Parts: sequence; C-alpha cells; structure tokens
Amino acid sequence: MMALTGARPRRFSGRLNPPAAVWVVLLLFCVFALAVPRFASAGNLENLLRVGSILGIAACGQTIVLILGGIEFSFGASAALASVVTVLALPSAGVAGGFAAGAAAVLLVGLVNGTLVARFSLPPFLVTLGMLMVAGGGAAVLAGGLPIDAPPSDAFSWPARGRVVGIPVPILAAAASFVLLHLLLAHTRAGRLWYLVGANGTAARLSGITVWRSVLAGYLLAGAFCALAAVILTSRVASGQPGLAPNLPFETIAACAVGGIPLAGGQGRAVQTLCGVLVIAMLNNAVVLLNLPVAYQQLMIAAVILGAVMLQQAPRLLLLLPVRPARQSEEDRS
Amino acid sequence: MTRTAITRQTRGDPGKIWTLEVSGIAKNYGATCALRNASLRLRPGKVHALLGENGAGKSTLVKIVVGAIQPDRGRIALNGVPTRFAGVRQAIAAGVIPIYQHLSLFPHLSVLENLSAFAIAGAAGLRARPALVPRATARAWLDAVGLDCDLDLPVERLSVGERQLVEIARGLGQRCTLLVLDEPTAALTHDETDRLFGVVRRLCAEGTAVLFISHKFDEIEALADDVTVLRDGVAVIDAEPLASLSRAELVRAMLGDMVESGERALPQPGAPMLIATGLMLGPAAGIATRPADITVRAGEIVGLAGLVGSGALELAAALAGARPVAAGTLAVRGETLPAGDRARAVAAGVGYVPADRHAEGLFGPLAALQNASSSTVALFSRGGLLRPGGEAAALMPWLRRLNLHPFQPERPAAGFSGGNQQKLLLSRNLAVPDLRVLVVLEPTRGVDIAARETIHDALVEAAGRGVAVVIASSDLDEVMALSHRILVVRHGSLDGELPRGTGRAALMDRLAGRRAA
Amino acid sequence: MSVNLLRRSVDGLRAAGSVLPIPFRVAPLCLILAVAVFAAIAPRFLSLGNAANIGAQVWVLALLAIGQMFVLATRGFDISVGAVAALSSVCAAMACNGWGLPGLSAGALAGLLCGLVNGALVGTLGLQPVVATLGSLIAVRGLSLLITGDGQVVPLDAAGAVTRLGFEPMPVLPASSWAALVLAVGAALLVGRSLAGRRILMAGSNPEAVALVGVDTRRVQLWAYGLCGLFAGFAGVLMTVRAGSGLPTEGAGMELQAIAAAVIGGTALSGGIASVAAVVTGAAFIQVLLTGLNLQGVSPFVAQIAVGVVIIASGLLETLLRSLPSFPSQSRTRT
Repeated sequence: MMALTGARPRRFSGRLNPPAAVWVVLLLFCVFALAVPRFASAGNLENLLRVGSILGIAACGQTIVLILGGIEFSFGASAALASVVTVLALPSAGVAGGFAAGAAAVLLVGLVNGTLVARFSLPPFLVTLGMLMVAGGGAAVLAGGLPIDAPPSDAFSWPARGRVVGIPVPILAAAASFVLLHLLLAHTRAGRLWYLVGANGTAARLSGITVWRSVLAGYLLAGAFCALAAVILTSRVASGQPGLAPNLPFETIAACAVGGIPLAGGQGRAVQTLCGVLVIAMLNNAVVLLNLPVAYQQLMIAAVILGAVMLQQAPRLLLLLPVRPARQSEEDRS
Repeated sequence: MTRTAITRQTRGDPGKIWTLEVSGIAKNYGATCALRNASLRLRPGKVHALLGENGAGKSTLVKIVVGAIQPDRGRIALNGVPTRFAGVRQAIAAGVIPIYQHLSLFPHLSVLENLSAFAIAGAAGLRARPALVPRATARAWLDAVGLDCDLDLPVERLSVGERQLVEIARGLGQRCTLLVLDEPTAALTHDETDRLFGVVRRLCAEGTAVLFISHKFDEIEALADDVTVLRDGVAVIDAEPLASLSRAELVRAMLGDMVESGERALPQPGAPMLIATGLMLGPAAGIATRPADITVRAGEIVGLAGLVGSGALELAAALAGARPVAAGTLAVRGETLPAGDRARAVAAGVGYVPADRHAEGLFGPLAALQNASSSTVALFSRGGLLRPGGEAAALMPWLRRLNLHPFQPERPAAGFSGGNQQKLLLSRNLAVPDLRVLVVLEPTRGVDIAARETIHDALVEAAGRGVAVVIASSDLDEVMALSHRILVVRHGSLDGELPRGTGRAALMDRLAGRRAA
Repeated sequence: MSVNLLRRSVDGLRAAGSVLPIPFRVAPLCLILAVAVFAAIAPRFLSLGNAANIGAQVWVLALLAIGQMFVLATRGFDISVGAVAALSSVCAAMACNGWGLPGLSAGALAGLLCGLVNGALVGTLGLQPVVATLGSLIAVRGLSLLITGDGQVVPLDAAGAVTRLGFEPMPVLPASSWAALVLAVGAALLVGRSLAGRRILMAGSNPEAVALVGVDTRRVQLWAYGLCGLFAGFAGVLMTVRAGSGLPTEGAGMELQAIAAAVIGGTALSGGIASVAAVVTGAAFIQVLLTGLNLQGVSPFVAQIAVGVVIIASGLLETLLRSLPSFPSQSRTRT
C-alpha cells in the first residue's frame, strides 16, 4: 500500500464554493479600475466582454475536452477553416448558408478528432495537432493562401455587431454558452459521464459506460462551441482568413488553467473557465487602454497568466515562502 | 501481556547496536495525525515484520525510513549513528534499499538499465556506461531470484511476475544495510516467493537487517524474527520476538478489542442464474486454456481459487463480461450476453469489482458518492438530465450500510483508506437495480480487518437476496470462509471442484496440482 | 498456413523492433517514400544542388525538433521554441555586431536561459507545461520586440562574412551545417550515452517510479527544458547566419513544425523513448515535402496537410502494431 509519489490530495470544493480564481478576477478588476483610466466605464466593460466573448465560447469547448482528459489544439485552425468556408460559400448559399457551411466545417473537424480519439484510442495531443495542420492547411489551400474579403452586409456582421434588447450578440452568445456548459456539466448525464471517463477511463468502461460514445459526444460538443466562436469571429473580421486565430487553442487552455482546471482530466467547472476567461479578457483590454508598446503588453500578459496559475498551484512560492515537500495522499490515514 | 519481560529480553545485550533505531516519531498532515509516537528497532541479521491496519501509520513510517518524507519529531539512528535522510537518494546511499509492491520499473528501458536504476540516479559524472551494473553481476542478481532473461530486453516485454522479480533482483543486488520489503509477494507464485525468502535469509546471514511489510500471516511466520505492530500511530507491540506471540495476540494488537467473527451461515442456493458455456480465455492471457463450463445459482457464492498466474482472476473477469474471450457464451437467466461488453452486462444486472482498485475501479478526484453511482447514472437521470437528489437517495443507504468512514460522501475518493475505497466499489454494484450476478476479484486485498468483515457480510447478504456471487481471491482463508463451493483454476482452465468445508491443506494441494489420493 | 505466415512476418517485424523500435521506423519510411515519389515525378529533384539545398535548409527545423524531443521524452511540452529561436537570433546578431563572430554564441546562451526559466516553471514550481511555456512564449516575443524597438530586423555589420558560413561549402557542406551535424551527434550522445539522458528517459518512462529510485525529478525537468532552450538557441543562431540578420518575428509557427518532426520521429507516442536520428529524419521528411511540392509548383499548404496526415497516421500505425497478437516474451522463469 505504498505510493510515495501519490497524487496530492485535491481539496474538494462543493458545487457552491467559488473557485480560487474568483479572487484573481476581483483583484485584477480592482487594480485595473484604479490604475487604468476609463477601464471601469460602461462602454469599455461592454467592449471588454464583447472581445472576450469569442475566447469564452471556445474555452467552453476546451473545458469539456480537458475534463475528458484530452486536449484540443485544432480550435484555431478550424476557426480559420470556418471563416474561409463561410466566405467562399457566401455567393451561392447566402449569409445563413455560409455560416452554416463554416460551422459544419468545424463540426467535421471535431467529428474527426472525436472519432480518432474515441474509436482508435490515439493520444488527443497527437490527433488534434495533426488536425490543426490538416485544417489550417486546408483553409490556406481553399483561400489560396491569402485572406478573402466578404462583401459587406448587415446580415453578415450581425453575429459580431448586432444587438438584442440592447445587449451585443456576442456577449449574449457567450453568456448562453457558459450557462449551457454549466448545465451540461452539473446537471446532465452526459456531463457526469465526461467526468467519470476523464477521471479513469478503464474504471468507466468496467462500470458499464460506453466510453467511446461519451468521448465522441464531448469532442463534437467542443466542436459546436468552437463553431459558434468561429461564426462570431468570421463576422467580426468580415473576411476568410487562413491564419485567423493561431493562438486560440493556447488561449483557451490558458483560460482554463488560470481558472484552476487541471489538465489531468476528471475535474473542472464552468465557473472556473469563466473566471479564467475574464482574467485574460481584462488583461487584453487593459494593455490596450494603457497604450503600452506591444512588447510591454506581451510581457504583462505573460506575467499575469503565469502569476495567476502559480497563485493557485503554489501560493507559498509566490510569497517566497519555503515549499513543503509533496504531501502524501490521504489514503494511508483517515 | 508480558511485554515488559519480553522487551527486557530483547534488549538484553548491552553492547549491541541496532541496525535501525527509530524512536518517538511523530508526523502530522495538517490536522490529521498519522504517527504519534512510533518506534522501530531492527537487529542486524534479523527479519523484522511491521504489522498494522491500513491507516495505522505503517506506510508513513516506511516512507520515513526510506527517506521519502521527513518526520516532524523523533530520532532515527542507523548503526547507532543519528541520521536524517534529506531524500530517497541519501537513504539509498546509506544502504537503506526499498523493494516496492507497486512496480517502480521503467518499461521502455532494458532489464540491465532497470537493474542499474539506483546507480544511474546516484552516480556523478557525464557518461551513463560507468553507472551500469556489469553484465556478469546483473546476471548473478537475476540468478539469485531465478529469472533468466535477455538483459537487453525492454522491461515492457516481461510478464508482471517477471517484472516483480527484476525489481526484487535490483533491490537484493544493492550493497545494503537495511532491506525494506513492502508487500513484495503480491505478484509472485509460491515457488518464486520461496526463492525470494531464501535470498532474504542468505542476506540476513551476512548481517543485513530486513524490514518486512505484509498482510499475510503465513509469510510473516515463515520469515520474520521480530515484530512491531502499529495502531493509531503508536507502536503497541514494540520489537518483540515473533515466537513469543500468537496470531490471536497479533490480531488483537492490530485491532484493539475487535475479534473476527467465526463461521458464517450461507444462504440456500436457488435456480441457476449465471451459465457460462465453453468459456476460453484468449491467447492474450498468455496461458493454454481448455473450455470451462460454470453455472452459478441464485444465492450461491462460488469461489475461484488459483495461484497467481493461474488465470483465476481472468476467468472471473470474463464471467462479468470485463474481458474478451477466445470462445464461449455467457447467459444470465437465459439472456445471452456478448463477452467483453460491460455495458450490456451491467444492463443485465452483472456487477463487477476489479482486482486493481486504483487502475480499474476508482475515480480518484471525484466525490465518493459519484464513485458509488457510476454504474447507475441512468437510474437517476431522466431525459438526459440528472434528477436533483436522486443520486443521494439511491446511494446513501448503501454507503451507510457499508459503514463508509469517514462518512463524507462529497470527499474525493482518493482521500479514503483502501478499505473504504473498496466499499465504494462494492456499493456501486450493490446499487444496481435487479442485480443478478456479482463478480468480485480480490474482495479485500490491502483492506484492514474491520472493513474486511463488513465487505464479507455484504457479500453474504447479497447472496441472501438471491444474487449469484463469484469471488476470486488469492486469500485462501477468504475463499474458504465465503464459498459454497470452490472451483480450482490451473493454467487458465478449471481443474476440479471442492465442497465447502475443505481443509486448507487439501486446497493448497489442489492448487499446486497435487491430487489427494 | 497463411496464419503461420502472418505470425512469422509479425515475428520478423518484432525482431526488427529490437533493433529499431516501431515508432522510430515511421520517419525513415516517410522520408524514403517522399523522396521516391518526388524523384519519380521530377528527376531534377534528385540533383546534387537540390539535395544540398535541402540538406542546408533542414537544420533549423532539425535543431528545434531535437530540443523538443528532450522535453517530449519527459512527457512535457514546449510551445515556446519558435519564439526562443527568434529571440536568440536577435541576441546573436546584436552580440555579433558588438564582438564579432564569437558573439554569435550569445544566441545559444539566450536560448539556454529561456529554457532554464521554462524548466524552473515546470520542474520547480510544478506548472502545467502547456501553460508555463505559453507564458514564456508570449513573454519571449515581447522581449524580442523590446530589444529590437518593435520588431525591426537587426542587420549584421559583417553580413558577408557570416552568411559565407551558412552557404559556402567548406568541404561538401557549409560550416553551419557541419556545426549543426556536430550538435546533433552531441544530442545523440547525450540521449544514448549520458547519465542525464538516461534520467530523462527514466522520467518519461515511469514518472511515478523515478523519484522512488532517487532521481530528482525537478532537476531532470530543468535539464530537459534547458536543453530544449539551448537547441532552440542554436536554431536561432543558424537563422541569423543564413539570413545575415537578426529576425525578431521569425519562427512563429515553427514550434508546431518542430513538434511535428519530433512526433514523426517517434518521440511523443509513448514517452521514455527518443532517437535523435529519427527526429532529424522526421525534420528532413518535412523539409523534403516542402521543397518537393515547391518544385512542383504546388502550394506549401498542401505540405502542411500532408504533415498533419502523417502525424495521425503514425499514431494509427503504432496502435495497429500494438494490437497485433502478442507473443510470449523471450524470458523464462526457471523452476
């Protein structure tokens, strides 16, 4: 019964407990509100949320994949593919048809990812990296390597610039995404199965769970979230761009990590992702307001991401206190 | 107790130096106290057994001895010299060599590199070659444990038993003052265990002290000279000669005042429930097999007994649809089930508790309640939505019935002791509605005695409800105590049947392939 | 009969496996296939000039992939290598302008420092590798912009002398390629023959066990990420040498190609195994694909798709070979 390097006990937080990242969000908000002029104005906050909504929606998909114990690198490339497909389909299929075609492309990538991971047991890292190249290359080939402009129209720009009851559409879409994610994870059978499969796939199979179906559903839903993000993104840039959002997968992973979701699988809540996304969105917004040179902006973003993650994983280190040796698992006590 | 007298006797020789003397050790984890006042004194050239229930602090004490963790308080002296190990490497350098039950081998590296792992970890310099054990030496180490394999073969190509032997050979080959054997025999056959004990005795003759941790009294009595028993972080029997203590005294020391209950009354079997016809394990099991026909009746407990590597566990797993088979059919009350399809099996009311709790059973980071409900998620969901409270309503009674301790259903499963984790796996299956068959592998491996009683009670109770129960265990006492009849498994096939009440000696003979005249 | 034949051929495959493990066979196969196809379509593909061209171009990618290999072997991940190479390129160029040719080594030093920071974040502070190296990716890009005044290329004063190192064949190969070859051999020795290499493989092969036998996991990770940074630094120096200037914004996207090369070179699939030769072959395959398609007038994006397909196919191949019936191991327990 010895497991010297046993997993560190994860402190269990009930469903209602706020994640540690909430404090990071509040702290950062206060600091920026005080230090950055115009940060706390209503107009700016709306802008902040509108820009952050795309990251937020995609991060919802990433959360599902991380809970399943996987990782999704192909988001950026599939969003790029979607933008190109959308713009190419516009003349023949119209605005709605174009967006549908773009979304379908993302779903297709998700389907391939899910099938390869679920049915062929390939490592998610390998599969999504491969699909990143396939989707990205596909987008570039379709577009001939250059961005193609979409003919300007109100309908086309509605997903990014429209308003419903005065609230920008992207913010509504992001809010709906987070609510949906929370419901999925906390209140549906599919969500529960994702946690079980992510925590221990073998045990899930032996419990009578059809693991592949759960994994496939997870990657498909992740693809659906990404498709929604891609539609808004395409509408915002009003063009098909093969190199659209190269950092989207990394930013979504960073958002989840800042929110405190471990990449090991079996854990994670929607509110954690929300916190992570807010941190990154506030940061991106503040550095723009501060009008710093790009170099300083990037250094600051890096510092806050690493700092926020450290604050949760190793708070003692951040305060320059000595680290205690790895705590043993509680298994041998009780 | 005559403890004071005995203690005086062992301490009799005034000039003697203990190989390892640990005293007054305390270790806290946050608010939890793992060790309060533990001590351990090992004589050179003697085997010292360390006993204790799970949770008694045994593992913590062993970790302190091998340098993996540091105590909050207390003294450690090696050969009379006060010592404090900063880490595993310092302990190894000082000659404290651990052999683990959990394999600490490197699957992609060769046998030779694995045998050299301690040296590779500790060596200074740039080149790896000087750190490698000379081939002749490596050969000699393997010879000592009776393993003959290609030194350049990656360890991942060896069988589990062979890997355990490599691990043991690595430990035995080190220059050691103190050998720590942490349940090393779990994956070994009887012959291999005997050979291990032979080597250990030889090392003892050369003056090495051995700390031996095991749950098996037979092995302890065969090997150990002295014994220390821990209970609640305190040494309740402190380095006394084993010969002066009876088994009953040891059990009482481990448990406090609890006593194991006697013979259990088993329910009356009814109609056939599980019928397996022509079941053959595939070549993946690595053993030649003959088709097996097994029928288990409602309310009947059938024990599958076999030595490690006999295929008893694999056969039992196949009965639950947990592994694919080469041939054969399974039928539960007339309904035919495809082999190796757990989803269908669960739907048909076939429960399964795997042998390897951590790898195949537990969802470590998830709450105990969610662990217990994983087979029945469909029950408390409607239209894909989880019914609020449904989960707790369905599972809480079972958790309470099995006496989950501490009773914190929201706590992650990884935070419970082995026995309580096993209770979670059991309740997962007991909660299956219309449970017809329950297959349990190693029901109480690494489980303390109190939990063991609870689990045995629950199995008998399930049989009383009309469930067909199959247990496969390497613990023969357990199989004998619980089963209506025992099926002997050798080389992956059935090799006869023994009725309830068969003596231990007769069972052992049959397992080893000797037929009573 | 046919079963026997299958069994024997699988046995043969496995026997070959003890010489060259399955994952390391993907890259050579791909390379041979790609060269054969291009040679069949376009004879001039096999010309000496073209071969030398590919040989010289491949090394930036190969060095990045070798660095990535060290990290992947510990089951880690480094997405900052492209940015680190760019920063190193700038540092090399600036130092070279100040102190002449020896100044180029400043690039390697900068790379090593970045790598050690990554190693400290992952090893000492225990951050998840993707997050830690994402942080340093952003920070390093910022640094590059900072020291070049918003991304201006740093021209070399002695561009002629330096680029000669990158293009003029010394004997057969230019000096830069020789240097890279020496570095690759050094990396191979490090993986195959050194204690540090052995510990890196141990850490990847069984992360739980490695501390139990007394290896300091944190230090191993520090080493692995440090080496990764160092090789990214070398790649940056090579970029400077071939371009004749410091390139602060180059290398974006290179990290993915480097990971692809390392994966095709068999590194990521299982952890705990690594081969420099296979990784360099993987890099060569990608380069052949890019150059070959370019010669055909096909867009380089098709090459990107092909690389993606090969990555997934290599995983499928591995799974397929593992699922074949297993045969008894060659060891015996004596009774």
